[in-house]
This record gives sequence, structure tokens and C-alpha cells, in this order.
Amino acid sequence: MKRILTLVTISALFLGSCSKDDKKDNISPIGQATLTFDSRVNTEDFALNKDFTIGGTKYKFTQLRYWVSNVSLINDKGETYNVPNSYFLLEENNAIDVQGGAFSYPARKREEVTISDIPAGNYKAVSFSIGVDAEHNDNLSLQAGELSQLNGMTNISWMWHTSYIFSSLKGSRIVGTDTTGITVETGLNTNYRSLKVDLPAAVAIGGKTASIKFNVDVTKIIEGLDLAKTPVIGASQKTEMTLVADNYSKKAILVSGTSNK
Amino acid sequence: MRQYTFILYVLGMLIFSCKKANIIPEPQAYRLEVPADFPGVPVFADNVMSRQGVELGRMLFYDKRLSGNNQISCASCHHQSLAFSDGLALSTQGFSGKQLPRSAPALMNLAWENNGLFWDGGSTNLESQAFGPLTNEDEMHQNLEELVYELQQIPAYVKKFKAVFGDDIKTGYIAMALAQFQRTLVTGNAPYDRYRRGEPGAEITAQQKIGLALFQQHCATCHAGVLFTDNEYHNNGIDADFTNDALEGLFLGRFRITYNLADLGKFKTPTLRNIALTAPYMHDGRFKDLAAVLQHYADGVKRSATTDAKLYTNGQPGLRLSKAEQENIIAFLQTLTDDTFINNRAFSEPALP
Repeated sequence: MKRILTLVTISALFLGSCSKDDKKDNISPIGQATLTFDSRVNTEDFALNKDFTIGGTKYKFTQLRYWVSNVSLINDKGETYNVPNSYFLLEENNAIDVQGGAFSYPARKREEVTISDIPAGNYKAVSFSIGVDAEHNDNLSLQAGELSQLNGMTNISWMWHTSYIFSSLKGSRIVGTDTTGITVETGLNTNYRSLKVDLPAAVAIGGKTASIKFNVDVTKIIEGLDLAKTPVIGASQKTEMTLVADNYSKKAILVSGTSNK
Repeated sequence: MRQYTFILYVLGMLIFSCKKANIIPEPQAYRLEVPADFPGVPVFADNVMSRQGVELGRMLFYDKRLSGNNQISCASCHHQSLAFSDGLALSTQGFSGKQLPRSAPALMNLAWENNGLFWDGGSTNLESQAFGPLTNEDEMHQNLEELVYELQQIPAYVKKFKAVFGDDIKTGYIAMALAQFQRTLVTGNAPYDRYRRGEPGAEITAQQKIGLALFQQHCATCHAGVLFTDNEYHNNGIDADFTNDALEGLFLGRFRITYNLADLGKFKTPTLRNIALTAPYMHDGRFKDLAAVLQHYADGVKRSATTDAKLYTNGQPGLRLSKAEQENIIAFLQTLTDDTFINNRAFSEPALP
């Protein structure tokens, strides 16, 4: 009898030890939210290969790309839900040569990020970062979210920084008959910026997909820059890069509304 | 008999109850063997070394499939017999056959290289560094997406990646495995080491001892400690004109990475271990032998705003070493050649899947 009891106990132990995956304690309802980053040029919709006038100067853009990362949602109880593996590449671009033309990254427009498995609740704020945190920026082998060496947002040419480009706006500046190419990029660890956006009204997550919309104003991204004097902003223009990073976090991205569809 | 039945029963439960989790064996911990008087081995929390990981990295290091034309492996430019350098100033052995702008560095004691990889420190760690040569069109010119596809066709690799990383083959894992193997390339058993440790019968010549004293006086500030490097960046006065900003600032040294004017012309201090095997010297291989290097430090150092202050003697650039002193230092440098390193079977080409 004792032996049988022992067997039963041991069996129970083994059965118990492997049932972890099947058990779902504390099932709480979950929901889905869509974050939309609507690119604008002031009040107009942003578009590639189209003339825009900003501050009296004509611009034509060929790409707008930036990382939205480490997204968190904060509910009305003050609880924070950190979205795992949240590295999203927002972009509007023509086809891009990757690895010196070894292959091509296709033209793409992506303004929406869908986040699932959010604990149900009323959410009143969103926080996220523009760029890639130092841990992942300094180590291209770490795979998380959409981080990849293959999307043209890494800089891995010979003996150069091996890290990510955080944001990239490219196009041309047209004055009379003169056309100058412009590149406005960030990517140093010190360019990493986090922002917290309070929603105009709390949004319910758990029922219908919640929608949170932001306007991303390109005129604000380049505000304060002298692109006539410095048309290319990259690793050697630290001051300008800092300004651009601040523009993304302080001016360019504003919440425009929330809804449930 | 009842005892046996009981044991069988327990074993049976063990096997069946957790069968799914037991298909892939856990990778076994790898303990890096280092000489007792070396600095402690750093922990690589993002890429913990395992026996299987090192073994996989070793295969990838020697596998020519890692290049776009399947003809070039890491080992094509990093030969074990030359302490993982290639004996060339500027190689033309890459995909395009075009001359590369910098000399292939020797690979040794990389576990302690914690202040940037490449001659200018452009890469923070081995895991990121690998993507440079892998993708550069004049080096291995590998399309990374294609590489993953190619390796996926080889069942042995699929199995090995699964065993090490518990996942399918991904570009990041290729870099991680390569890093694990490269961190095992430890050298610390040269005649000088055996002499320094007072091992029985270990001796260096009288001239080498004189050279050692001179070395400690003139060279050991930068080529410091048992690793023979301070892992820092210095302008050693081989150039004084930094107006050529071609190739994205390639000739400007560390400045290319930091954009700090104080870093113009600075390059990383290479280790001097196995230095007799790694000619030609400097980031562009401009000095064909150690005699030329010592000649430079003696009286060839050029003055510039960033030339290292330690390379001046009484306000004049150069260490003012006599011919005899130069020869004595070279004699000492010969004692840093570690035959056990270049002959270590654990580092040589393995059977490839």
C-alpha cells in the first residue's frame, strides 16, 4: 500500500511538473490596439516624389523611416504594460539598395503598428522611443521585433560603425533650378529618445480594436536646421543630430485622436 | 524484482512525461581556459559560450559558404599559422579582387578586447563586427538572406543551430556562434610566459632580457600588461597629414568613429603577442618587418597635433633608440611567439557538414 501511495505521489509529481504550458491561471481578457503614425507635411498628407513648400523652400522627399521601439501602454490605474519585442520600423520609401545593391528592399508604406495581447483596461497614455536602445544598437546579433540587418537601417560598410540608423529622412531641396540632395539621419546612442504621450481621452482596450492616431509632421522634424548650409546630417553633425532627435521627441509626433472600431 | 519494477516505472515517467522538452539536449557550458596570470574572463551575458556554440562557430569560421561566391571563408584571411592574420599588407583575396584599404588584423585574446573592434574601433563587439566582412562587397560579399537559406539546406547545420540557440538559423546566431569560437582563441603560452612564470627550464637569452627591459621602458605603456595592449587608440606618428577624407574618412583613424579632432590618426594598439608571425605591420601593412617598425619608433615618428606624447624624446619626435637597442627589442619580441597557439588542434579547420 505504501509502495502504491509512493507511485501515485511520484506520478502526480511528474504530471504536475509538465502541465505548466497547459494551465492558464488568472486568465484575464486581452485586447488589441493599433497605433497609426500618419506622416504629414504641416496640414498636408506626406507623400514621396511630390513637391512640398516648407518655409518658402520647395522639397521633394524620397524616404521617411524611423524606429518606434519599447512601446508601453499605461492604464487609468497607473499600471504599465510593456509590449514585448517592440521594435517597429515605420516607413515610407522608394526601393532601397541594401548591402551595396546585393539586394533591394522594396518600396513600402507602413504607418500602422498593431499590438495584440494587451491586458484589457482603460488606457490613458502611451510611451515609446524613437530609435534603438544602446543594448540592441551596439549588438547587431540580438534579434528582437523587426530589428534586422536586411532592411537598410544598419550601417555595416567596411570598418564603420556597426549599428542601426534611428531615423532617416531623404529627398531634395529645390531652389530655382538648383536641386540639392538632403539626408537627415540620427543613430548615435545619445540620439535615443523616449516620449510619453497622454491620450486626449482614455481608450478602452479589450473589446473592439482600439485605435490611437499620431500625426508625424515632417516640417517639425527639420525645424531649426539650416539645410541650405548643411544638407547632409549624419554621424559627423552631432549638434544637428541632437536637434533632430529632440524634434522627434518634442515636436514632430503629436496624438491626433483615439477610437474603437 | 519489485525494486527494479519501481525504478523502471520512475524512469518511464521521466522519459514520457517530459518527452517534448527532452528532444534537444541543453548546450553544455564552455569554460574558457586561460593562463592563471591573465585577467579574469569577462561574462558575455548576451551570448553565453557553450561547447556546441564554439564548435558551430569554428565550423562557420572555416566554411566558404559564408561568402557570396562560396570561395572565401573567415579563415581565408585569418590563417592559424600566422596567428590568424594573412601575411599581406592589403589583401586582394576578397570577392571583388579589389585591394582592401586596411590590413587583416590578427585574431588573439579577443575575449578581452572590450573597447571596439576594427583598427578604428567602429564595431562594439564581435557579434556586430562579423556583419562587416560578411557583407562588404570587396570581402565576402554575402547576401545575408541567401546565407540563411543556404545553411538551412544543410540538415547538420539546422540541427546544430537548434542545439545551440534553440531556434531556426538566423543571421544573428551566425554572428553569435562566430564570436563564441573567436573568444576561444587564447594565446598565453609563449617562451616569455614560461620564463615569466618561472617554469622549470624556461629561459630566454641574455639579449632578450636586455630587450625586455628596453621594451618595458619604451613600449609597455601602450603595449601593456600580459595582453600587450591597452585596448586604446593612439597616433603613433606614422602619418601627420589628415586631409584625405576619402572612403568615408578611412585614413583618419579613430576620428572616423568619434568625429573628435583629438582622435585624428589614432588606431587601436594591437597586441604584440605572436608579433613575429603577423608581418607586415600597421593598419595598412606599410612596414614589412619588425626592423622597419623599430626604425620608425626610433627616428621616423612624425610630429602632428595628435602624435602621442609618449613618442617624443626631449621635445623631438621619436624614441631615439640605437640600432643595438632596436635589435635587442626585436630579440625580445621573438619570445612572444606561442607555438602551442598556432598548433592548437581546437582552432584548426574541422570537418564541415
